[in-house]
Amino acid sequence: MAAPTRRERLGVTHEMIEAFGPVIFDLSTNVQDRRGDPVRLLQFDEIERQRPGTGLSDSEIAVRLGLATDQVTFIRVLLEQRRFKPERYYRLFQLGGGRRFRAGRGMERDPYNEPQFSADALAIRDALRFRPDHVRRELESGRWSADTVASYLQRWARETPDAIAIAAPGHSPVSYCAALDRAERLAAALAGLGVRRGDVVTVQLPSTPEFAVIYYAVARLGGVFSTLHTPYGAAEAEPLLRHSRARAVFCGAATDKSDPPALFATLTERLPNLQHVITVGPPRPGVLSFEVLIADADPAMLPAPPVASDAALMCYTSGTSDAPKAVPHSFQSLLANPRQSLPVFDLKPGDRILSVPPLTHAFGLFIANAALMSGATFMPLPAFTPPALAAALEQDQPTHAFVAPPHVAALLKAGLLDGRDLTSLRQVIVSGSYCAPELKRAFEEKLAGGRVIELWGMTETFAVLLGDPREPAKERYDWIGKPSSGSEVRIADLDGKPMPPEAEGELQVRGCSVFAGYFDNATANDGIFTADGWLRTGDLGVMSAAGHVRITGRSKDLINRGGVKLNPSDVEALIDQHEAVLQSAIVPMPDPILGERACCCVVLKPGKTLGLEALCGWLEGQGVAKFKWPERLVAIEAMPMTPTRKIIKGALVKMIEQ
Amino acid sequence: MSRAPAIDPAAAKQAIIEYCLRKGALVAGIADLDAVDRIAPAGHRPKDLMPRVKSVIAVGVGGSTAGAWRVPAKALSYFGSTESRAYKIVYGLAFYIEQKFGVPAIYCPPDMDPELGARYPLQSLKLHAELAGLGARSLAGDILLHPDYGYMYYASCFTELALPPDKPLAENPCPAPSCVSMFRREGRTPCMKFCPAQCLSGEIDADGKQASMHYDMAACAELTQQFETVPQLLRDAIATDNPEEREALLLGERNKVLWYRMTVGNGGLFAQCFECMRVCPVATSAPLADPLKRGAAHRATSSRKVQNGGANAA
Repeated sequence: MAAPTRRERLGVTHEMIEAFGPVIFDLSTNVQDRRGDPVRLLQFDEIERQRPGTGLSDSEIAVRLGLATDQVTFIRVLLEQRRFKPERYYRLFQLGGGRRFRAGRGMERDPYNEPQFSADALAIRDALRFRPDHVRRELESGRWSADTVASYLQRWARETPDAIAIAAPGHSPVSYCAALDRAERLAAALAGLGVRRGDVVTVQLPSTPEFAVIYYAVARLGGVFSTLHTPYGAAEAEPLLRHSRARAVFCGAATDKSDPPALFATLTERLPNLQHVITVGPPRPGVLSFEVLIADADPAMLPAPPVASDAALMCYTSGTSDAPKAVPHSFQSLLANPRQSLPVFDLKPGDRILSVPPLTHAFGLFIANAALMSGATFMPLPAFTPPALAAALEQDQPTHAFVAPPHVAALLKAGLLDGRDLTSLRQVIVSGSYCAPELKRAFEEKLAGGRVIELWGMTETFAVLLGDPREPAKERYDWIGKPSSGSEVRIADLDGKPMPPEAEGELQVRGCSVFAGYFDNATANDGIFTADGWLRTGDLGVMSAAGHVRITGRSKDLINRGGVKLNPSDVEALIDQHEAVLQSAIVPMPDPILGERACCCVVLKPGKTLGLEALCGWLEGQGVAKFKWPERLVAIEAMPMTPTRKIIKGALVKMIEQ
Repeated sequence: MSRAPAIDPAAAKQAIIEYCLRKGALVAGIADLDAVDRIAPAGHRPKDLMPRVKSVIAVGVGGSTAGAWRVPAKALSYFGSTESRAYKIVYGLAFYIEQKFGVPAIYCPPDMDPELGARYPLQSLKLHAELAGLGARSLAGDILLHPDYGYMYYASCFTELALPPDKPLAENPCPAPSCVSMFRREGRTPCMKFCPAQCLSGEIDADGKQASMHYDMAACAELTQQFETVPQLLRDAIATDNPEEREALLLGERNKVLWYRMTVGNGGLFAQCFECMRVCPVATSAPLADPLKRGAAHRATSSRKVQNGGANAA
C-alpha cells in the first residue's frame, strides 16, 4: 500500500478542496476589499467588520470554517498554485519607456514578444527546407543578407521621406514616409485582429497603391503574402485559400459585375482558417475596411519585425496543373535576385519604374521589390489597355518599363507609340512569355537611345536569365540573355547530363533565388530537383558557346510520336503567322500505334476557314518537315488561358479527348 | 552597581529619528504598539517576534529616482532592490539603540512566514509605517503614499525602549485631484486604467475621498511574483517525455535567468511591476517624491547653513 500523500496525512480530500477552496481563496488576502480608510483613522470596530473583506490569516479562516490551520494553508496554496501561470511577467517587457498597458492590446496573444508560429505557419516554414550548404554558400557570398521588405521601406522613409514611393497612373502619389506610416498602421491593425507572424494574408486587387501598401504591411507584420489573380471567382479562389490556410484576404469593392467582399465573406463560412475579409472600399457588415483599419490602428500593436529567413511570399504558379502549386519564398530568396539585378537595370533613387504585369503575379512583385530596393518610384499600371500604357509611357516619364510581349505587340500593332516622346525611357524590360526578336527591335526603334532587354524567370526562381543593355543589339534580340548574378543555368538531357552548346535540352537552374519546393504538394515536388540540386524548369532551351540562352519550348509539351520527340513551339509560332489564324497550340492526342500524335488547335480570324490539308500544304511551303505536321486540326472559339495569358494546354488535351 | 541613567523617551526618539534620517531615510516614526496589536492578526504581532517589545520604529526610503520611472518595465523591475536600503538602516538602528541606550532591539525581518508560504509576511511593515504616520493606503492595492515623498519602501525596528508614538497621517494624499477628475470622467483612476493585470478597482465619494478599494492581489501576484516558477518548471521538466522540451525548460534563456538570479542572490522577486506607481501623480509628482527636487532642496538648505555658519563664526 502506497504511503499517504501530504494531502492525505493532513486529512484534506479532493471534495474539501473543491468545496472550501473558493471560500478560502476569497477570505484570504488574495482578494482585498476595503471601504473608507479605517486603519489610518484608527476605526477599530470598522477594521474588525471589514476583516473578512480585507483578508484573513489562515488561522482566522480556519476558525471560521472549522478546519485546521494547516488544512487551510494547504488548500490556499494549492489554489494559488493552480491559478499561477509561469512567465506572465514577460508581459511587462512590452511596457515602460513610454508604453503603457491598454485594455484590448492583446498582451495575452503575444505575451513574450517573440515568434509564436502557428502549426500552419510552421508547415510553410518547413516548405522552405533549410539546406545548410545552400544557406552557408549564399550567406558567405553576400547574396543573402539581413534585409527584408520592411527594412528597405524603413531605410528610404528615413533617407528620402518625401520621395515618391508609389505613383500609379490615376492615383495620388504616396511618399516613402507616408507608405511606411500606412504600412505600419495596417500591420498593427492586422496584429490587433490576431494575424500573426507566419500567417498567410491573401490579396486580390488590381495593381494599385493600396496593393503595394498591403504588401508592405504584410511584410512588416511578418505575414506570408499570397495573391489571387483578379479574374478568379469562388471556384478558383476557394481551393487556393484552403491550400494556403489564409487567415485574411484583401479584396476590391463590389461592382456591377462582381461582389468580391460578399464572395469572400461567404468563403469564411467554409474555410475555417479564413477569419477576416478586408475590402479596399466602403465598409459593410462582416467585412472590414482597409481605410478604417489604418485610421483606427493602435501603433502600439505593431509587433517586432520579421527576419530575413522568415517566410515572406507564397504565390501560386500560373502552371496548368490541377493541384495547387504554391511557391514559398523567404525574404532571402525573394530579395536576393532583384538585389543582384539592380546594377543591370541601372536603377537608382529618383528613377521611375512603370510596371505593367499585375502585382498578383510574381513578376509584378519582383518589379515592386526592385523599385523599393533602389529607392525609386514604383508606378504600377492598375489596368492594362494599349492606350493607357501608351499614355503612361509618355506622360508619366518612366525611366524604366517592365512589360510583357503581348503588351508590346498590342502597342506596335495599333501604332500607339508612333510620334510619342519616349525620351525618358532608359530601359524596357520584356518578360512573361516568348518574345520574338522582331518585337524587341521594333520597340527599341521607338525609343530615343533606350535599350530593350529580355528577362526570363519563374515564380520558383525569379529572374534567372537577364539581357545586358550594354551588349550589341543582335545578342539582345536573338537571345534572352545570360544567367543573372547569383544564378547558375545549364542545358541538360532528361538524365541530367549537360548538353553541348547550341543543343536543345531542359533548362535547369540553381542559385540564390531558387525556391526549395512546393508547399504541400508532394506530387509536384517529385523529381522537381535533380540529385545534384538543379531545379528542372520544364522549359527547353539552348545555350550558345558565349553563354546566351533562349527558350525553345516546354518539355512537357513535347509530343512523343513513336519515339520521336517533337517540340511543337516553332511550328506553333509559324502557324500563328498564317493569314487565317489568330492563335494556335499543338497538343498530343493519344494514338494506339504511335503513342501520341500532334493535334493542332486554332482560333481563326473572323470569317476565315482552314482545313488540315490546306494547313499542311502551307507548312510544306514554309519548309517544315513532314513529321512536324499536325495530324488533326480543331478550330475553337477561344484558347483556355491562365490569368497571365498563357495557353492551358492541359485543358486543350481534355477538350479534344471529348 | 550603579543604576543605568534614566532615558528621556522624547530625547531618545529624537536621536533615533535623526539617526535614521542621517542614514538615508526620508521619514521615520513610531507606531502605536497597542494599535498594531489590535489590527495585526494573531501570530503576526510584534510580540510574536519580540515578547518584551515596547516600540515599533518605522522608516521610509525613496522608492525610485526620477529617471527610473522612465525606463522600460523589465528594467524597472530590478529597481525593487531599493528596499534593501531601508532594511540596512533599521538593521543599523537596532545596533545603534542597543549601544546608545543599552536596551534590546531587533531588525524586523521583511520576509515571508515560513509556515504560510510565499504570500504571508511575518509582520506587516505596511501597517507599522501607516500607524507611524509615514503613509496612507491608496487605491493602488493599498500601497502607502506620502503627501510629500510619494511612494516609499518601508522597514521596521522593534525595541524594548519605550518611545512616544506618532499618529497616522491626518490626510490621505490618494486620490490626487487629477485622479478624482479622471474618475469622474472615466470611472477609473490612472492606476486602475493602466494596471497590466487589471486587478484594481474602487470608488471615490462626492468629497473626493476613497469610498472603496478592490484589489485582486492574486492577479497582481500572478503577473509580478514568480514564487511558483522554479517548482513548476521542475515539475514540468520531470513530467515531460520530450528530452528537447526538458532541455528548453531547464536550460532555455527564460528559465536560465532564474538560475542566474538565484545564483547571484537577486532572487527576492523574479519580477515586480510598478505600472500603477508609474502613472500615480502622488508617487511621481509629490513635492519631494522626485530625488532631483529633494536634491535641490537639500542643496539650498546646505547653502544656507554654510552662509549662516559663516555669519555666526564671524
